[in-house]
Amino acid sequence: MELVFLAELAVNGAMTGLLYSLFAIGLVLIYKASSVPNLAQGALTMLGAYVVLAFADGLGMPLWVAIPLAAIVMFGLGFGIERVALRRLAGRPVIMILMMTLGLDIFLRGTTMAIWGATSASMELGVSYEPLFLGDLFISRIHLVGSIVTLVLFGAFMLFFRTRAGIKLKAIADDYTASWSVGISVERGVGLSWALASVVAVAAGVIWGEIQGVDQSLSLLLLKGLAVAVLGGLDSILGAVVAGIILGIIENVGANFLDPLVGGGSRDLIVAAVLILTVMIRPHGLFGRHDIERV
Amino acid sequence: MQEKPEVEPILSMNSVEVLYDNVMLAIKGVSVQVPRGEMIALLGSNGAGKSTTLKAISGLLKTERGRISRGEIRFEGADITEMLAQKRVERGICHVIEGRRVFEHLTPDENLTAAAPGGMSRAALHAEKEKIYAYFPRLAERRNSASGYLSGGEQQMLAIGRALVTQPRLLMLDEPSLGLAPFLVAEIFGIIQKINREEGVSILLVEQNALAALEIVSEGYLIENGRVVMHGTAEALKANSDIQEFYLGGGEGTDFHNVKHYSRRKRWLS
Ligand SMILES: Nc1ncnc2c1ncn2[C@@H]1O[C@H](COP(=O)(O)OP(=O)(O)OP(=O)(O)O)[C@@H](O)[C@H]1O
Ligand SMILES: [Mg+2]
Repeated sequence: MELVFLAELAVNGAMTGLLYSLFAIGLVLIYKASSVPNLAQGALTMLGAYVVLAFADGLGMPLWVAIPLAAIVMFGLGFGIERVALRRLAGRPVIMILMMTLGLDIFLRGTTMAIWGATSASMELGVSYEPLFLGDLFISRIHLVGSIVTLVLFGAFMLFFRTRAGIKLKAIADDYTASWSVGISVERGVGLSWALASVVAVAAGVIWGEIQGVDQSLSLLLLKGLAVAVLGGLDSILGAVVAGIILGIIENVGANFLDPLVGGGSRDLIVAAVLILTVMIRPHGLFGRHDIERV
Repeated sequence: MQEKPEVEPILSMNSVEVLYDNVMLAIKGVSVQVPRGEMIALLGSNGAGKSTTLKAISGLLKTERGRISRGEIRFEGADITEMLAQKRVERGICHVIEGRRVFEHLTPDENLTAAAPGGMSRAALHAEKEKIYAYFPRLAERRNSASGYLSGGEQQMLAIGRALVTQPRLLMLDEPSLGLAPFLVAEIFGIIQKINREEGVSILLVEQNALAALEIVSEGYLIENGRVVMHGTAEALKANSDIQEFYLGGGEGTDFHNVKHYSRRKRWLS
């Protein structure tokens, strides 16, 4: 009985964690190309959800049309961000790029607030909230759907990084100048990584929008997403997935035991502890690449 | 019939000045010609302006906030002075930059793939890779391990192979011998020669290791303090007393590491 309960906490925690991973994959894509954690990823995710709603509720399209359309719009926006905000920063200290993502975050949150206001809208995916039993385990259907989306995207990116375009993107992540020297368009590669991260933001925005409603608080996903990305190693998509699962389990199981003791709120403490310990003990995370040292 | 005076050089750089950060004048009116199909050396000591000259030609100055403030560069007759680096690679100029900058986290095979031009078919890329592995059999053995763990010589070979994938007609190499044991320098120079002969690729070779370079090139330019101070055939340069003095104590068995150190102390004609 007790064991079943623990298993249920772990499985649901792992699925919630995969939803963090969904968010963190976007961070990893941009980190690879721009060497900074994109502080605007939360705002992009919220924007992605709003754009879906604009097509669905605003223009009355069915979601299966609205979501791909939003993905296309956001894909274009990703390229636009590179062109307008980032191109002139190439070769500057990365702290400038980091500050640019912060500016972008504030800008996007302000813009979405101005357009859509503060009231929460709902994303009606039509996933039933009827409990789903896997054996004795109670499973949340929307979390299951989200986990599957994450794993599908994960697989797609693993394949992408074996294509020629994906390999060129990895080359850009390694060395801008060497990339330019063999004719790789670094600008286009960085644009592509932002575009892909913006599409991931749509996926995360839809799933998280369904779970917690579409409003400004969606942008706060950034904090947990960052914790997951850091634990995974910032530049590893596999790392983001594994770290999401781990963090989700620790958080869900841990909070179950700690919350009664501290009277709630222990989830954030657990996430903070994981983040801080990662940075102190294993700064490259689980799968982050080390700079190769040859002597 | 009138005889043609001379074939147009594949590259001609005329009185080029380069400014870094809008203030630092790194080269001051450098003119260099590379005749089609030839191998030319650019010699000089540290800070002379050799790498800057290559970057002006490849368009990589921009990434270091440098720019050509004067003069022009023509490649196969066309003015490329203001062209984007990427376009120059498409036209057939490839620059193997200083310091063996391979993509460390990629395998040698992926390094080669990364350099493939946009329109290259899978089959053509495959054939190109096999050709490069034939030039550098050591790379073939390690084609699927992380490039960051290759030896210095292997990394240099990979950097050259990667450049070849772009199908250059002018290949520029920045100090390929740096830090390599003499037998490796000989091996790499042998392959560069082979690329020049078999593929007809024109080569502009930057070297501090003048002795080794002058053995394989037809002409050399000597740069000092941002200016060309000497230009002549390899024979003429080898016979020049200043050059001989520069490599005093050298000769066939020179330890190239020491040459590099020595050249750091000696300044040319300044
Ligand atoms: N990015 C840069 N910004 C400012 N000054 C630079 C830059 N790169 C080179 N310089 C300066 O320009 C001059 C020429 O440098 P360059 O790298 O071309 O010399 P080099 O002949 O290649 O030397 P080495 O043999 O040491 O590689 C030097 O005085 C150098 O300090
Ligand atoms: Mg140099």
